[in-house]
Amino acid sequence: MYTDMDPRQFEHSVVDDNDIHSIVMSYLLHNCFNETADSLASCTGVKQPSDDRDNIQRRKQIIHFVMEMKALKAVELTEQLAKDLLEKNKDLHFDLLRLHFVELVCARKCNEAIEFAKTILAPFGTVHKYVEKLEDAMALLAYDDPEKSPLFHLLSSEYRQQVADNLNRTILEHTNQPSYTPMERIIQHVTVVRQYLTEENGKDAFPPFSLKDSLKG
Amino acid sequence: MENGLWELLGSKGLLKRHEFIRILVQCLYSLGFKKSASCLEHESNILYKSADFGLLEKQVLSGNWDSCLAVLDRIFDSSSDHTRDTALYLVLKQCLVEYLKQGDISLALNVLRKQAPLLGMGKEKIHRLACDIVYTKEMESGEADSFLVQDLRKNLLVELEKLIPLPIVIGERRLEHLVESAVLHQIDTCLYHNSWDAVSLYKDHCCGRDQIPSETVQILMAHKNEVWFVQFSNSGKYLATASSDCTAMIWKVLDDNKVELKHTLESHQNPVSFVSWSPDDTKLLTCGNAEVLKLWDVETGVLRHTFGNNNTGFTVSSCAWFPDSARLVCGSSDPERGIVMWDTDGNEIKAWRGTRIPKVVDLAVTPDGESMITVFSDKEIRILHLETKVERVISEEQPITSLSVSSDGKFFIVNLSSQEIHLWDLAGEWKQPLKFSGHRQSKYVIRSCFGGLDSSFIASGSEDSQVYLWNLKNAKPLEVLSGHSMTVNCVSWNPRNPRMLASASDDQTIRIWGPGKPNKPEKWLDNQKMQ
Repeated sequence: MYTDMDPRQFEHSVVDDNDIHSIVMSYLLHNCFNETADSLASCTGVKQPSDDRDNIQRRKQIIHFVMEMKALKAVELTEQLAKDLLEKNKDLHFDLLRLHFVELVCARKCNEAIEFAKTILAPFGTVHKYVEKLEDAMALLAYDDPEKSPLFHLLSSEYRQQVADNLNRTILEHTNQPSYTPMERIIQHVTVVRQYLTEENGKDAFPPFSLKDSLKG
Repeated sequence: MENGLWELLGSKGLLKRHEFIRILVQCLYSLGFKKSASCLEHESNILYKSADFGLLEKQVLSGNWDSCLAVLDRIFDSSSDHTRDTALYLVLKQCLVEYLKQGDISLALNVLRKQAPLLGMGKEKIHRLACDIVYTKEMESGEADSFLVQDLRKNLLVELEKLIPLPIVIGERRLEHLVESAVLHQIDTCLYHNSWDAVSLYKDHCCGRDQIPSETVQILMAHKNEVWFVQFSNSGKYLATASSDCTAMIWKVLDDNKVELKHTLESHQNPVSFVSWSPDDTKLLTCGNAEVLKLWDVETGVLRHTFGNNNTGFTVSSCAWFPDSARLVCGSSDPERGIVMWDTDGNEIKAWRGTRIPKVVDLAVTPDGESMITVFSDKEIRILHLETKVERVISEEQPITSLSVSSDGKFFIVNLSSQEIHLWDLAGEWKQPLKFSGHRQSKYVIRSCFGGLDSSFIASGSEDSQVYLWNLKNAKPLEVLSGHSMTVNCVSWNPRNPRMLASASDDQTIRIWGPGKPNKPEKWLDNQKMQ
C-alpha cells in the first residue's frame, strides 16, 4: 500500500513552471478574465487557444448581465450562444426566469411581475420540484420591503453569483469544455487525500488540508 | 320569543322547543316549501338563519369586507385557530380575486401586506395567498362580470358555512338524519328483519314471522331412504340433495318458488352424504363418508368423472370448489388419503398428506379462494392461507360434526356434538366464538348454515326432528319449525331468496319452508322481551 516515497517528502517532488502557468491560465479563462489572461500570456509565453476568444467574450457578458440583475438579457444571449442549452437544463432556466421575477419585484414593478409569473413561471408549477421554489418567489409580493422578508436571500448578490456560476459551467459543458478548472480539482484532490491520510495516521502526523494555512507558507 | 323559548318537549323533557322548531323550518326549506317555511318562522318567531349568519350573508354578498371580517371575528371568537384562519384565508382570497378583476393591483397587494398581518394571519397562509394570485384562474383580470362576482361570493358563503360553529349554523338535513337514526336503531333491535324495503314511519319498526321462512310450503318425496344433505345452488335456482339411497338429485326452483325434480344422479354404490355446487353452478360434486368423489354436469345430469383412478377405496367425506369453478379440493375420512386438490379433468394439482393430516371431518374454501378451512378429527379447525402458507388453529373442546362458511367470507360456523353451534371470525380477531344453542345433537352429524339478509340468521337441523332458526344477535332460537317426523340432518337457506329454506331429514323427505303468517300479538311481545 505505501510506496517507498513518504508522503511527507512532497517537498522533493518537482513541479514544472509551465504546468503552473497552464493551471492559472485555465482558471482565468474559465472565469472570463480575458485581459488578465492576455497579460499572463505575454509575460510567460504560455499559449491560450484562440478560438476560445469568442466564447469567453460571450460568457463574460452573460455572467455580467446575471450579476447586474438583467436576467432576461442573460437568457437571450445564452440562447444565441447555444440554442437548446436552456431547454436541456430546465432547472437553470427556471432559476434565471425566477431571478427576473425577483428583479421586477425589487424594482416595484409588481404589475409586470404578476403578469410575468402568471404567463412564464406558472407553467413550471405543474412539476413538483419547482413548486416550493415558485412559492418562495411569490411570497416576496407579500412584503412592502422584500429585503425584510424571510426570502431575502433571493435578492442577494451571493445567490446571483451562485446562479451565474451554474450558468457558466453549463455553457462550458455544452461547448465541450471542462466545467471545472484544474485548480478546483487539485484543491479537491488534496483535501480528500489529506483527509484519508489523517484518518489512517492521526491528526498529528497529517493535519487536514487548509488552504488558508498553505497560503501563509 | 319570550313564551316557550326555554320550553322543553318530549316525555322526558330532553328536547328544546326552539331547536325542534328550527330544524322543522330547515326541513321545510330543504323540501322546497319556502312559503310554509317562512310562515312557520313568522308564527313561531324563530328564524332558520341566526342573526349573526344573516349579517354575515349580507356583508359577503354586498362585498363589505371590513364589516364581514368584523362579524367573522365575533363568530370565531372561541373557535380553534385553524378554523378561524381558514375562514380569514377564504375571505381575503375573495378580496384578492375581486381587486385583481378590477385591475387594482395596489389594493390587492395591500390586502397581502397590511390587512393579512393585521388580522393575525400566519406567514404561511399569507405566502399561500401570494401564490394564489398566480395560480388561481379566477384571478384573471377581465371584465368585472358582476354575475361572476356574485357567484363567487355565494360560493364563499357556502364554504364559510361549513366552518361556522353551532348553533350559528346547523348541519344540513338535521331532521332527516335524526329520524333515520331512530329507524336504524329500531332495525338493529328487530330480530326478524330480513329485507331492505323502506320502513314505515307510522309505527316503530318490528318485523314478524312473515319475514322469514317458518311454514312448510312444499314436501319433496323422491328419495327412497334417509336424506342426509341439501344445498341450494349459488344462483338459488337449483337444489341438490343426497341420500343414503345412494343417489343424489338435482331439483329446479321455479319462478313461483315451487321445486320440481330435474335429474336423479345414479352411479354411487354407497350412501351419498355430501354435495357441492361449483361457483358457476354448472357442475356438482357428490361424495360420501364411505364413498368416492364424483363430478356431474348439472344441465344434463351426466356423470363427468370419478376421482381416485377407479380406486374404490378413495373415500371422500367432503369437498369444496375454488372460485374459478375449475379446481376443487377434497378431504378424506381415511387419513392416508389426506387432502387433494384436483382440476375438473381429474389431474391431481396438489396434495397434503402425512402425519399432520388426520381424518378430515369437513372442508371448505373461502369465497375469495384464498383460504382453506379444514375440520380434523374431531376437535381441531385449521385455517390455511394458501398463498402465504400461514396457518391458524382453533381447538374446540367438543367433537365437531360440520362446517359452514358465510357468503361474505367473514365468518364460519361449526356444529358440535355438545349441542352448540360456534361462530368464529375468519379474520382471527375473536378470542371466543359466539355460541348458539337450543337444538338437539348428540349422536349424529347435524349441519347448519347461514342465511337471510346479510347472513344475519343461522339455521340448523336437530335430532328432535325440528328446524331451528337463530338471529345472530341472540343465542337462543328465534323460531323452531316443526314438520319432519325424524332427525333433520341438514338445512340450506336460498342465497337469492331470503324467505326460502330447505331441510333434509331421516324421514326421507325434503321440506321447503316459506314466509310464515304474521305474529299473533302475544308472540310479538315475546320477541321484544327476548332482547
